[in-house]
Amino acid sequence: MNKHMSQNTKGMIQLFILRFFAYAILIFLCILCLFFFYLMVVNSTRSNAQLARGFSLLPKEHFLENLVNAWNDASINIPRGMLNSLIIALSTAVLTTYFSALTAYGIHVYDFKFKKLAFTFIMAVMMIPAQVSALGFVQMMNKLHLNNSFIPLIIPGIAAPVVFFYMKQYMESVLPLEIIDAARVDGSNEFHTFNTIVLPILKPAIAVQMIFSFVSSWNNYFIPALLLDKAELKTVPIMIAQLRSADYSKFDMGKVYMFILLSILPVMITYIILSKSIIRGVTAGSVKG
Amino acid sequence: MAEVKLVNIKKVYPHSEEKKKSKKKDAPQKKTNLQITAEGVVAVQEFNLDIANKEFIVLVGPSGCGKSTTLRMVAGLEEISGGELYIDGELMNAVAPKDRDIAMVFQNYALYPHMSVYDNMAFSLKLKHLPKAEIDQKVREAAEILDITEYLNRKPKALSGGQRQRVAIGRAIVRAPKVMLMDEPLSNLDAKLRNEMRAEIIKLRERIDTTFIYVTHDQTEAMTLGDRIVVMKDGYIQQIGTPQEVFNHPANLFVAGFIGMPVMNFFDAELIREGDRFFVEPDGHRVELSEEKAARLKANGVQSQAVTLGVRPDHTDLTEEGISCKVDVTELMGASAHLHANVDGRDMILIVSTQDTKKIPMRGDEIHFSFDGDVAHVFSKEDEHNLEW
Repeated sequence: MNKHMSQNTKGMIQLFILRFFAYAILIFLCILCLFFFYLMVVNSTRSNAQLARGFSLLPKEHFLENLVNAWNDASINIPRGMLNSLIIALSTAVLTTYFSALTAYGIHVYDFKFKKLAFTFIMAVMMIPAQVSALGFVQMMNKLHLNNSFIPLIIPGIAAPVVFFYMKQYMESVLPLEIIDAARVDGSNEFHTFNTIVLPILKPAIAVQMIFSFVSSWNNYFIPALLLDKAELKTVPIMIAQLRSADYSKFDMGKVYMFILLSILPVMITYIILSKSIIRGVTAGSVKG
Repeated sequence: MAEVKLVNIKKVYPHSEEKKKSKKKDAPQKKTNLQITAEGVVAVQEFNLDIANKEFIVLVGPSGCGKSTTLRMVAGLEEISGGELYIDGELMNAVAPKDRDIAMVFQNYALYPHMSVYDNMAFSLKLKHLPKAEIDQKVREAAEILDITEYLNRKPKALSGGQRQRVAIGRAIVRAPKVMLMDEPLSNLDAKLRNEMRAEIIKLRERIDTTFIYVTHDQTEAMTLGDRIVVMKDGYIQQIGTPQEVFNHPANLFVAGFIGMPVMNFFDAELIREGDRFFVEPDGHRVELSEEKAARLKANGVQSQAVTLGVRPDHTDLTEEGISCKVDVTELMGASAHLHANVDGRDMILIVSTQDTKKIPMRGDEIHFSFDGDVAHVFSKEDEHNLEW
């Protein structure tokens, strides 16, 4: 009995130590991830003079002042930049996910000649980095007089092989072809079936891909910087880059931090709204439900 | 409510590009005995069937025999490679599924997971743009018939398998289709529920009164549900007939072995013709065939030959003399006992009543059995067809 007890306590202690280390590592990683966000928030509450003095962990009282200054800055139109970025990122997210799902549906559901070839081709496109084709793309857009327009930033996003691949894999796990057959027999035409039956089933996958494409479009600097040079069309990443290249001695650092805080706000909001779906989407298909 | 006519229906799955290539290298691996021609794999061929108005037809056969493919061709979900399909006299080969006025119940229910039971059932009616009140009335009527009214607001995932299948059937009957197609609707259910649902389908049939085509691999379902059953194998129809006809007069060895539980016993035997009289002689034990059978054999000009003899387990009797064998296993089933034995290397089952038999033979016991001349089936050794046919 006594021996049994001691074995039991020994096991408990082992478990405790194991958990202690596991939690310690997780907490450390958490801090590592969140510390810089915290620092940014703290810095956005400090004035330029306070920032110049050095590093601080405690927030100060200049938050509103920085906000008003940043929002009303004459040289960089923050509200306009955010609006531009929002228009581009939202439309890209919606179009990318819809059309990728549609393409994946086509490949998943229909049998046609060269289906495999089509699939391989789409996968091959995935391997080409944006930088390689960028030069030709920018030249083409200039020839089409589409520079200084949002169209080249939104429309090409429709062809997104990665999103397509994700959707295809997701469909394989959740979309039995019988459901489509059932809809056909019920009298639904193909597009109607896709919009009313397939899209709702794909909701978790769509949520995940929407966030990813929204964030990557929101953060995209490379192509917009090559195409947009009119001040009123500039997006947030371009503006941040401009800030960084501005003269530090004249610039209000509090304002800069405030701007950066504002720029990541939409991303955080989308994440918070859709995070449940992300978790569901990432784990979906692992367990048949 | 409609007549369905299938004329020489054929389905070929063309070889895909890869298969063509691999075929050159090595012979295709055969999963079933389906014909593989230059065109591709032939799944169904020479399928001729006239289905009367309000008839309940069951397509039955082992997996891969083409029964589901045939059903899907009637539904329009599978292209017809050859032949003609008529529903109510109209050629349907090129008509889209939605315009055929059919409804279909799938094996895995195929409910729309994001819609409530009500919306699942109303989906097809909404597509027809019926007025809301009418949709509501029809859905509630169907739900009433299937006893699922209390689940109308639930999502399919909150239902059990049996309830889901009811919803799937409900979704089909709200439309009052011309032809109701069912593709193994009960095979995902457990045994008890399957029995219950089978009875439900029989009742349902009386209420909704339409033409049914039902696919199953379960011969009990085929026997109990069908007005006529169509036994299929390797893409060919083996026999069409009422369940009793198929049971009592199987057209060939395959049908004889497929229909009936436990399966028919087969023996190697001699068929002996003496004038107008016919005898079978398995294992040296001679039994005279009934007059009826003899007349049919005579009409076919059958002569003495080696045959495969078939006798159903419930048609065998324990006798003092007769074919002798040793019992391998005795299964006591309550009212009856199944005796497994081996005659000339062929396994066989005898069913004896526990009431009428004084002592049930057990493992190792030597027994003798015989059978009557009106229950013996003789099949050609050459092509396995029933010599009476």
